[in-house]
Amino acid sequence: MIEVLLVLLLTALSTALLGVFLVLRGQAMTTDAISHTILLGIVIAFFITNDLRSPLLIIGATLVGLITVYLIEVIGQSKLVSKDAATGLVFTSLFALAVILVSKYLDNIHLDLDIVLMGQVLFAPLNRIEILGIDLPYALWQLAIVLLINVTFVALFYKELKLSSFDPVYSIVSGFSTSIIYYSLMSLVSVTAVTAFDAVGTILVISFFTAPAATAFLLSKKLSTMIWISLMFAAINSLVGGTFGYLTDTSISGSVAVISMISFFLVFLFRKDGPILSKIHLPVP
Amino acid sequence: MDILSSYSFIIVMLGTLVLAVACACIGSISVFKGQSLIGDAIGHATFPGVVLAFMIFGVLDSAYLIIGAIVFGILAFHLIQKITDHSKVTLDSALALILSGFFGLGLVLKSYVQGHPNFNGSQGIDDFIFGQAAYMLRSDVYLIIAAAVVSLLLFYVFYQPIKIYIFDQTFSQTLGIKQSLMNGLVLIMTISLIAVGLKAVGAILIVNLLIAPTVIGRLWCTSYPYVLALGMIVAGISAFIGTYLSTAFVGIATGPAIILVLSCALLISLIVAPSGPIKALINKRRVGNQL
Repeated sequence: MIEVLLVLLLTALSTALLGVFLVLRGQAMTTDAISHTILLGIVIAFFITNDLRSPLLIIGATLVGLITVYLIEVIGQSKLVSKDAATGLVFTSLFALAVILVSKYLDNIHLDLDIVLMGQVLFAPLNRIEILGIDLPYALWQLAIVLLINVTFVALFYKELKLSSFDPVYSIVSGFSTSIIYYSLMSLVSVTAVTAFDAVGTILVISFFTAPAATAFLLSKKLSTMIWISLMFAAINSLVGGTFGYLTDTSISGSVAVISMISFFLVFLFRKDGPILSKIHLPVP
Repeated sequence: MDILSSYSFIIVMLGTLVLAVACACIGSISVFKGQSLIGDAIGHATFPGVVLAFMIFGVLDSAYLIIGAIVFGILAFHLIQKITDHSKVTLDSALALILSGFFGLGLVLKSYVQGHPNFNGSQGIDDFIFGQAAYMLRSDVYLIIAAAVVSLLLFYVFYQPIKIYIFDQTFSQTLGIKQSLMNGLVLIMTISLIAVGLKAVGAILIVNLLIAPTVIGRLWCTSYPYVLALGMIVAGISAFIGTYLSTAFVGIATGPAIILVLSCALLISLIVAPSGPIKALINKRRVGNQL
């Protein structure tokens, strides 16, 4: 139980950290597209290696994630197709291909569609590995490394990320390459999504990326504050949702997604300038 | 050739064909308004409605499940509107939030139902995620035809106002066309098509049927009626080929097959069509060389 919650917590923290920048840039649905299409990368890499634990799966998935982003950019930049139409087209095509490949060739293998959808965080502690004499679940190690990479990335490129998120034009003028920052961010999103894949599945990972960040966006006016609030909500959502799912014996990642949506709406309704508190006129002291 | 005359093929083909043609037509509205991904969010959001309707009515009859799907589709749409209207959160983030939250709710309810002895025959619920056209019944096809006929009729009757509403919102307000009425009309048409189409192509992929035909049409034609006509024709043909492929080869689901055929058509259009991005890139290079 503790290990399951730890896996969820690490997933939530590493996704929510990147999620802040995705929400600020209006790239939440691009992330949704990536989280669907990495399935294609996983399936193709699995055909080559026949091993669900191979690092090649992460590389394959990251490549497909980047291809997705690139395709959306190319199609979206043509004036004929708006960017959101391009997003909807690219991810459904690649996802349909992946679904057909899974159902046609991998029918009797662990990679079944239910796990693809919701992940199986409960199985995570079963797969253990010993590093430096410490015996921990494989997923926990993987997620800890990803979290470390994400934190390092944000810490090192904080200024560049901030600038290109809020003022891309100024950022280009000052000599930062916005597209390098953009594609590195998106590759990290792909890596994080594929690492989280086992635990939370392809579809709900989008909730881990965006819900805490969107909640924090309501409450903050400063980037650093937004990051801390987002991490805090990520921790609360994953622990409360995980416990709820565990105790009621329902889908754990589904529970986290629901709790995340509920916490967003609680903040949405009860924040200072929200629809409820702004109507109540407090007596002026 | 005996596939073409088999009963189940005809049923499935008829259902997907009518669905694809109607989706091509209605989907064009949101594509031109730049709101294509709302269809995606609504598609995902209908799933908890389906499971909840199953829990309430206790039968996996599409007619009941569709009610749940429509209710949750409308609920999701309104929540998205509330978020974007009353906070600085962008449409993009609101869509992602509602989509995942609702779909998560669907999965929680599904896992509850499937682990509970009171609910029998809940296996069929999975069909609504990825679609399972092979299990479509005659009644499912009737539902699709009913929804398609109603929405196409509405589209035909309101064709002029819809056209103005899409391309010049200010002018349509000046003319006195009620914006809330138009929004509601488009919403109802879209949601009912998504709801009846869930069993055929599933909650995740249905958005492709709404977007792709219009984009293909737009790549080849410039006037709205031609875009519509070409989109509907391509959608119909894709549905036919996709259903044929999935019937002829074992292990290929109908919904994804149709989407793939449609995607191939799109890919060809992107490369070949006179105004496609690839042609545009080449032309830009040529102009560059001349300078």
